[in-house]
Amino acid sequence: MDRRRVLKTGIAAATTLFAPAYLHAQSNKKLSILTWNIADQEALFKEEFADFKAANPGVEIEWLDKKGPDLPAFYQTQLVAGTAPDIVDLQGALWVEWAANGAILDLTPYFQADPEFAKLFNADYLSSWVYDKKNYLVPFYVSKTLLFYNKLMFNVAGLSAPPANFDDILKFSQAMAKDEKTGFITLNFDWLYWPLLKMNGIELLTPEMKKPAFNTPEAAAVVDRLAKATEAGAINKIAWTGRWVEPNGAFSSGTVGMMHAHSAAYFFVKGQGRWINRDSLGAVEMPGDWSTPTNHGFAISKSSKNPELAFALIKHMTSNKWATKFAGIRRVLTANIAADKALLAAVQEEDPLAHAVLQTQLAHTDKMTGNWPLPNDAQIKDAFWPELQNALLGRKDAKTALADAERAVARVLRRS
Amino acid sequence: MRVSGLALRKSTRRAILIWAFLAPSLLIFLLYRILPLAWNVVLSFQAWSPMKPAVFIGLDNYQEMLFDDDVFWQALWNTFGIIASAPIGIAIALGLALLVDSNIRGRDVYRTIIFLSYPLMTVAVAIIWRWMFDERVGLINYVARAAHLVDKPIPFLNSFTWALPSVIAANIWQMLGFYMVIILSGLQTIPGNLYEAAGIDGANAFHRFIRITVPLLRPSLFLCFVIGMLNSVTSFDLVYVMTGGGPGRATEILVTYIYKLGFNQTRFDYAAAVTVTFFILLLGITFLANRLSGGNAGAVERD
Amino acid sequence: MRQRRTWPVHAALTAVSAVMLLPFYWVLKTSISGENIFAYPPSIVPHGANPFYYIDVWYAIPFARYFANSVVVSAITIAANVVLNAMAGYALTQRFRGKKLVLLLFLSCMMIPFQATIIPAYLITGRLGLLDSYLGLSLPLFSTSICIFVYKASFDAVPRSLIDAARVDGLSQWTIIWRVMIPLARSATATNVILSFIWSWNNFMWPLIVTRSPDMQTLPLGLARFLSYQEDSTGALYAFCIMVLAPGLLLFLMAQKEFVQGLAAGATKG
Repeated sequence: MDRRRVLKTGIAAATTLFAPAYLHAQSNKKLSILTWNIADQEALFKEEFADFKAANPGVEIEWLDKKGPDLPAFYQTQLVAGTAPDIVDLQGALWVEWAANGAILDLTPYFQADPEFAKLFNADYLSSWVYDKKNYLVPFYVSKTLLFYNKLMFNVAGLSAPPANFDDILKFSQAMAKDEKTGFITLNFDWLYWPLLKMNGIELLTPEMKKPAFNTPEAAAVVDRLAKATEAGAINKIAWTGRWVEPNGAFSSGTVGMMHAHSAAYFFVKGQGRWINRDSLGAVEMPGDWSTPTNHGFAISKSSKNPELAFALIKHMTSNKWATKFAGIRRVLTANIAADKALLAAVQEEDPLAHAVLQTQLAHTDKMTGNWPLPNDAQIKDAFWPELQNALLGRKDAKTALADAERAVARVLRRS
Repeated sequence: MRVSGLALRKSTRRAILIWAFLAPSLLIFLLYRILPLAWNVVLSFQAWSPMKPAVFIGLDNYQEMLFDDDVFWQALWNTFGIIASAPIGIAIALGLALLVDSNIRGRDVYRTIIFLSYPLMTVAVAIIWRWMFDERVGLINYVARAAHLVDKPIPFLNSFTWALPSVIAANIWQMLGFYMVIILSGLQTIPGNLYEAAGIDGANAFHRFIRITVPLLRPSLFLCFVIGMLNSVTSFDLVYVMTGGGPGRATEILVTYIYKLGFNQTRFDYAAAVTVTFFILLLGITFLANRLSGGNAGAVERD
Repeated sequence: MRQRRTWPVHAALTAVSAVMLLPFYWVLKTSISGENIFAYPPSIVPHGANPFYYIDVWYAIPFARYFANSVVVSAITIAANVVLNAMAGYALTQRFRGKKLVLLLFLSCMMIPFQATIIPAYLITGRLGLLDSYLGLSLPLFSTSICIFVYKASFDAVPRSLIDAARVDGLSQWTIIWRVMIPLARSATATNVILSFIWSWNNFMWPLIVTRSPDMQTLPLGLARFLSYQEDSTGALYAFCIMVLAPGLLLFLMAQKEFVQGLAAGATKG
């Protein structure tokens, strides 16, 4: 053996020795699935996987779970290294970019091969994952925004019914604002605040999605009113600066009159707020019935060596049986029609409040906004939101901020 | 070739020894610093994303950064602001180190307490300070209101004026103990007899400080500044958790921007251009600091 | 003279200590009372203190396993740092060709933001076949510029006369390093141990990217995993923080002794 060969063999031997187990097993029928911040369902997933393995002998399943902010960094690193998990659970608009860039698989042929499968799901939710007429995700669990309100604070301020329009939101907020108390808060990540603008007829982009459409005098007036209400303490500033824990924590402390948030917030708020019971918390749709979804769906990485098997596992996990079980344990809607029906029936008696919250999720599914299939959604968000924040927090006047935002968004649109 | 080890010239043997000592560290740096930097340099002249082949595009990324990107400039100025704040922390730490280094009782306890903030996980520090600075329920506003220092609570992290200083304050809080330890280990190297000699000569405390302490502390202070600056400008976790770069772009610094560009916007190519610029900027500042502290990383050449 | 002047020093140090300790107190308080930190006005003393949150944490995640992983990774990192950095630090006290370049290199390596190196670092670790292994987790932190300079500064401070005296006594280069330099640089060693431990123990991003199997997770990743379990229980979250932070603080308090001796040695050195 010459030196080179010795060296090569040595390196090869060392590589096998040190290489992690999951690389050895790659040749087998091995699936890996990456979920998004749902490690609490370990027991259920294990059960589902065991069931799947029993039906498909010889299959191995590797389950990974990452928290929201960490998942994109993890998945992208794996993409570059060519070791992306076969199945990935994606939230929000992340999937569009990866779909447009060819990181995830077009699932349309799989849906076409089994027409019955698509019928399991709420059509509106399913169609929110269409880009370029192709379907990329299978619904895992879904939620959209609604308006929670603190009836105790409503009573103190002499308000009897939830707001019916945008003016009401501002008027009510002002009525409840006093000292450390504020009237309104909203979540703001992933366009979750967009229903506030949509109910005033403001659009982000022109219909063909090539140009910004939000820089209008009407929009400036709306933003200006929101900014003034924030300045006056009617709207809690956390609405424009917090992410998840802060707005929810503020609302559950009982000092904020209304909170615009997605249904997942309910369980957080209920766990934190001692004041919350069926008489003190209200849950209704936003005026105009607009809402922004934050859905989770399963995608298949294009690099997957076993896409058929991966799709089979997705079908397994979203089947009536397992979706129903998952919905029941996690108290979430799954967009699986049978599962959601079963869940609503189950909570009607034991938790009427949860029932009211979940009910909003299935109503007006045709009036969802803020979920545009934009391949550069993240860049547009990053161009738009800081400018809007500038206006809402009073650093720039609404007109200037919207004009600046328009320039920034147009630049992103031009680049792609 | 019958040159035995003994026959090698002494200086050559010494050189081999020196490089052998440096080699392991250099290897680590090569793998995890130099090569990644080279990757960034190459990438900054390309258009690339994880799913697409790379295309050479010359200076396009740099052109966009310098002429089209307001966010880059905002992040750059914020980064400068943070760099400029490093001396404040160091000055406080120097004062504390001198106090702790004196012969008072319980100095070990004080030193321990002051250092205690450094070992904390930055994420935890950020969570707790975010709450401390909260406008409505935060402790700082609570105390300020209870003591009637302010009429209206200050919205520290929600304000364009206060957000950056607030993050800087949290950063100083965490780094203070670290600076102090570096300075203390510098003070320890100052021979005690120098002070005794100065005492006999009748120099007062202030003179002793200016004439002996500061010059001999120069390497430590240089180290503090460089490390403090680097630690602050790369305090990604702190900014990311406390403000996420907001409100607006008020606390966006170059590292948070680089991370967002890469992992949120999938623009690793453009992020690479910002990274390279950031690197050159820091190198320039360090070079300047080195000059100011007398060269040779501040160390006094003794031989 | 001296005695009269100590009270302002004590006052100043006490005030600073209070500021430094306050957040600790609040974390501790929340971890045993589980109070909503968004409640107003904040209560200064904990109500209904109990240890349940700590028990929750223990059962919610495989704490012992994560803890053991963190310990192993940190131990490897500390050992590598002390040896590699002492060697490099010593080399940098010598005169040799290319010294300026090496100094510049070590300095400049501090200026590359980690966030920008994630992808290439991952690819390199993959090439080395070290993904998802203890060595892969600790390798990037094996040697750090700061710690090298801490050693260098410490070695620089050893009086030339002492080394020359040792040479005259006929001690070899190696003996001088081991018997003279290292013992005198004890505080630098303590600093190295503490710092490399802190960095390794608190490291989040790198373990997140480089580990895949559940058995290789470290404590900070446990924090993220834990947050996904019970985002609502602030009490448990802070209990977790304390359980993660305690080892770091403990190690510092222990290494502190060495540290003090190092200081004492410096003071009497002359």
